[in-house]
Amino acid sequence: MKEVFSFRNGRAPRSAFRILNAFIMLALLVTMLIPLLKVLSDSFDRTTVYGLNFWPRNWSIEAYKSIFVNPNLRKPLLVSIVTTVLGTALGLTMATLGAYVLRQRKLVGRNFFAKFIFITMIFNGGLIPTFLTLKTLGMTNTLWAVLLPASVNVFNMILMRNFFEQIPESLFESAEMDGATPPQVFRSIVLPLSTAALASIGLFFAVEYWNEFFRYVMYISDTDLYNFQIKLRDLILSEQNINDPAIVGHANMVKNAAVIVAMLPFFVIYPFAQRYFIAGVTMGAVKE
Amino acid sequence: MASAGNYAKIRRRIRNDRMYYAMFLPVLLFVLVFNYVPMLGVSLAFFKFTPFAQKFIGFDNFADLFFGIKSAHFWKAFGNTLFLSIGNLVLATVFSVVVALLLNELVSRKTKGFMQTVLYLPHFMSWVVVASIFTLILSPQGGLVNTILEKFGIEPTYFLAQKKWWTPIFLFIARWKETGWGTIIYLAALSGINPELYEAAEVDGAGKWKQVFLVTLPAITTTILIVFILNLGKVMNIFESVFVLQNPNVYDVGDVLTTFAYRVGVQQGNYGIGTAIDLFKSFIGLFLVLGTDAVNRKIRGSSVL
Repeated sequence: MKEVFSFRNGRAPRSAFRILNAFIMLALLVTMLIPLLKVLSDSFDRTTVYGLNFWPRNWSIEAYKSIFVNPNLRKPLLVSIVTTVLGTALGLTMATLGAYVLRQRKLVGRNFFAKFIFITMIFNGGLIPTFLTLKTLGMTNTLWAVLLPASVNVFNMILMRNFFEQIPESLFESAEMDGATPPQVFRSIVLPLSTAALASIGLFFAVEYWNEFFRYVMYISDTDLYNFQIKLRDLILSEQNINDPAIVGHANMVKNAAVIVAMLPFFVIYPFAQRYFIAGVTMGAVKE
Repeated sequence: MASAGNYAKIRRRIRNDRMYYAMFLPVLLFVLVFNYVPMLGVSLAFFKFTPFAQKFIGFDNFADLFFGIKSAHFWKAFGNTLFLSIGNLVLATVFSVVVALLLNELVSRKTKGFMQTVLYLPHFMSWVVVASIFTLILSPQGGLVNTILEKFGIEPTYFLAQKKWWTPIFLFIARWKETGWGTIIYLAALSGINPELYEAAEVDGAGKWKQVFLVTLPAITTTILIVFILNLGKVMNIFESVFVLQNPNVYDVGDVLTTFAYRVGVQQGNYGIGTAIDLFKSFIGLFLVLGTDAVNRKIRGSSVL
């Protein structure tokens, strides 16, 4: 399309639109970033009453130190880290196993399995029956209630199966011809060829487990088992009830720092991982 | 017709593939225990729980909810659920489509990429984190918003504890968190539009606005409808976003069926009533999806489900 400047050809309205669009983008950017920058700045600021500044006036990293030192906050952080690592491993195991079997077109009963699993996307027992089931199993007030039910994620399994279906059939056939058993094919062909999918869906699981809140609210009342998200909420709602004298004066700073720590892992990996996340979403959208 | 030979064949195939079944076992077991067993528990809605026994009481729990002491709160929570989540869904659709259209118009790919990165970011924050950020920003004690208002001589307000502010703030925060992520699917749909359509429209003298309404929007209508109807199925499940922002001061406008069911069912131990609320909620959800799809089928002649 030729881009000659001419009012009559609509070049002017278009550039007016572009300027308007730039302003809208700028406004969006400010709206998105201001809350984050304010919290980030205040997390380093020892000041008791914050102002309009977006740079700490009394620079201090004490809030972060206290999160890693104060057992009240360190323990939930550890719970978050451990459940995220274990949960991601477990979730990936379930997603890959399930996807691999659902991919076997000739398997007797495959359709039944697929339906059996997909139905759970639409129907569920609801809050209380699920709670009572876990209670009967003795899982309430243990981290199993967080780890196990979240590990079978139908959406992630569908994504994984879609990735697996891109692996050429001929690879499977030749492996079978060579006498490889399904677990062998799974280990030596499917998994090595799906590193991108594993990264992408692994990240989905990691986000889910790190951000888990609902299941702690529902199934866990033992404060020793709280993860960082639950602790953060307690902290935000509390009015300076932190007992450590070293941080009483800095309660506000600690609140801000806890917010930052609660989202830190994904800030760090997000720039590198963004394409995996988006690949995951568009895969699901296009294929379904 | 399944002859004896066929049976033997199927049996042989199953035996040959037994490894696959073994690999699938953990998935099957988890789904059975964590998804199907609780479904049986739906019957709890028809029982009354006392500390030592449970008694079948038919539809009494529902009658209690619809007409009993709890009915005022129940209907309020029902109204709030519909208003908050459908309001949110409508705003989500409008905002995400508009932002996707605007992003699509950006000439510089770098700017577009940067904007996308920033806009997608809050999607990965938990609701707790987002609620915490805005609780701090809106705090009556030195929060950013109140500090600005004070410069104009306006008294500090505890926004999240006030009924008139809670709903708009909730809807704003939900948009702040999810608008960007919502654009992804529309951006994908937009990139699939044949550029020749725009060229043809331009030759025919259609300006930017006309192109949006005559080419772009019709091309992504199906996507918009699919996303809308699929999300409509989830509206009754709204929980975490509301739970982390609400407080007893704003139950009138900010209590929804799930949070109500949680308090009554889990915290107070009224399992029967809690399950009844849940069941009611599921029926409305199903009704919404099928109803919308039926309307959609009448208008456009095809189902998206």
